[in-house]
Amino acid sequence: MTRNALVSLVNISKTYGRVFALENINLDLFPGEIVSLVGDNGAGKSTLTKIISGTEKPDAGGEIFLQGEKVTKWSSAKARSWGIETVYQNRALSEQQTIYDNVFLGREITNRFGFVDRKKEIEATEALMRKIGYTSKVWTPMSSVDKLSGGERQGVAISRAILFESRIVVLDEPTSAMALTEAAEVLEFIKGLKESGKSVVFISHNPWDAYAVADRFVILERGKLAIDCPKGKLTADDFIAMLHKFAKKDVKK
Amino acid sequence: MKNTTRKFLLPERYRMVFGAAFFFFVMLGIFMLSAPTVFLDIGIYSAIFLSLPLFMIVGLSLVFCVVSGEIDLSFPSIITFTGFVFAWILEQTDNSFIFAASAALLAGAVCGLINAFLVVKLGLSSLITTLGMNFAIVGLTQILNQGNIRTFEELNETKIRTVLVGSTGPIPNQMLWALGIAVILGLVFHRHKFGLHVRICGDNPEAGRAMGVNIEATKIICFVLVGVASSIVAIQNVYLNSTYFSTTGDGYLLPVLAAIFIGGTPVTGGRGTIGGMVIGATTVAFINTGVIASGLDGFWTSFGFGIAVVLSLLGHRKFSGRLTR
Repeated sequence: MTRNALVSLVNISKTYGRVFALENINLDLFPGEIVSLVGDNGAGKSTLTKIISGTEKPDAGGEIFLQGEKVTKWSSAKARSWGIETVYQNRALSEQQTIYDNVFLGREITNRFGFVDRKKEIEATEALMRKIGYTSKVWTPMSSVDKLSGGERQGVAISRAILFESRIVVLDEPTSAMALTEAAEVLEFIKGLKESGKSVVFISHNPWDAYAVADRFVILERGKLAIDCPKGKLTADDFIAMLHKFAKKDVKK
Repeated sequence: MKNTTRKFLLPERYRMVFGAAFFFFVMLGIFMLSAPTVFLDIGIYSAIFLSLPLFMIVGLSLVFCVVSGEIDLSFPSIITFTGFVFAWILEQTDNSFIFAASAALLAGAVCGLINAFLVVKLGLSSLITTLGMNFAIVGLTQILNQGNIRTFEELNETKIRTVLVGSTGPIPNQMLWALGIAVILGLVFHRHKFGLHVRICGDNPEAGRAMGVNIEATKIICFVLVGVASSIVAIQNVYLNSTYFSTTGDGYLLPVLAAIFIGGTPVTGGRGTIGGMVIGATTVAFINTGVIASGLDGFWTSFGFGIAVVLSLLGHRKFSGRLTR
């Protein structure tokens, strides 16, 4: 655990039955940096993401520190209230609900009796979607998500993550199944997050995307942390060669 | 964006209600044509409003359960059981409404909690579990009641009876209670964050969990709501008939389920409407009464329910543009 880290994961392991998804992971996330988290299928990237975002709890013995303070009863609600927002690989959207319902899910604008202020939510959603450049003429904030294309759904998931004052944004494969131009927009968006002072954990299968935006690389291999190094120490070729080496090792095993 | 808003003349959330209303008015028109003297007289509507509210109250609560992705088929037995609890405590306490009603409501809530425990905590199928619970609770009630019919003629002149099941002009008071409950549950379902969380439970519970929604607690509340609503119906039933008999809950299951589906709430969860349920319950009550009033044999009622469910699905398809699965 490093002193000025926003989030510190200490000895994090996660098992599902007899399968080790993560084994003794130690990782610090610092303010204003983009960490590219890469690894092959089954390396543990998504599990680590879920632990950071509170939807999974680590096994006993693992500890999570927020700005040096140990947290107990880690949950997604706690993670979000502290400022960790996540864009999940499956986008975690409720398809039959409206866009604004999805954007504010879990953090509804309500009066003191819990009734939702729909007008405020709709206005805020409309402004937010315009801000991030999703200006489709087909839908409104009242449209249900199942009407949207894949890229537009990603827009909703991303806008939900940046609506609230977050300190860390975790993006789990946000560019997967995207067209080149859409993926480029997402990469620009990630850089924009850093410029606005947020930290980003960027999970990707694509080594070129991961290299392009990162300040630091974390490579997972079969549930273990294999590499944690700053971008300055690796060229793009070195980075990709290293990933290939790990992939070949997996194939041999 | 303003230009695009105009394309949605009818917001999607109201389309299911329109589908149900469309079907209801077509059916009412047919009844009026087949028996104009009956259906143009206010008397038939007063008669329908006697039984309609009881279907409606329990159906309204069941909408929450169905939308959350579960189903509770034990509500007829909860009506039977809580009616017994209410009647028995009335007898034991010299007709103390407060004690009897509190105990009945508590018994309804406990039945809901047991269902919730089995389904939410133990992960059993709600369809099979609550069907089993339906038999178990009815059996328990019969064991406790020993086939007795409990009469309460002394309740007939009480103020509580007037308030609960008296009448205001031609309208039975239970109809006003049902509409009041519909307004409250409608606000909760469509405007309160709890209503949104109920829809999330049936739509994508994993997304809800990721966003910090307590899916388990939300589902538990839905089951408890069905239990409490069933006990309200049981209390009204005892006052309405001045009698308790252990077949009180019989005959509720199919009409209430039909009302929900006619109202546009699909079995797949995630979507639903309280307004649609009110129209669906009204449709079912009209079929019940209208079939007889039209001069048909009572055996045609079930046939009418079946046709109504199928035709209303077509109506929902037309208005909402989707199949109501």
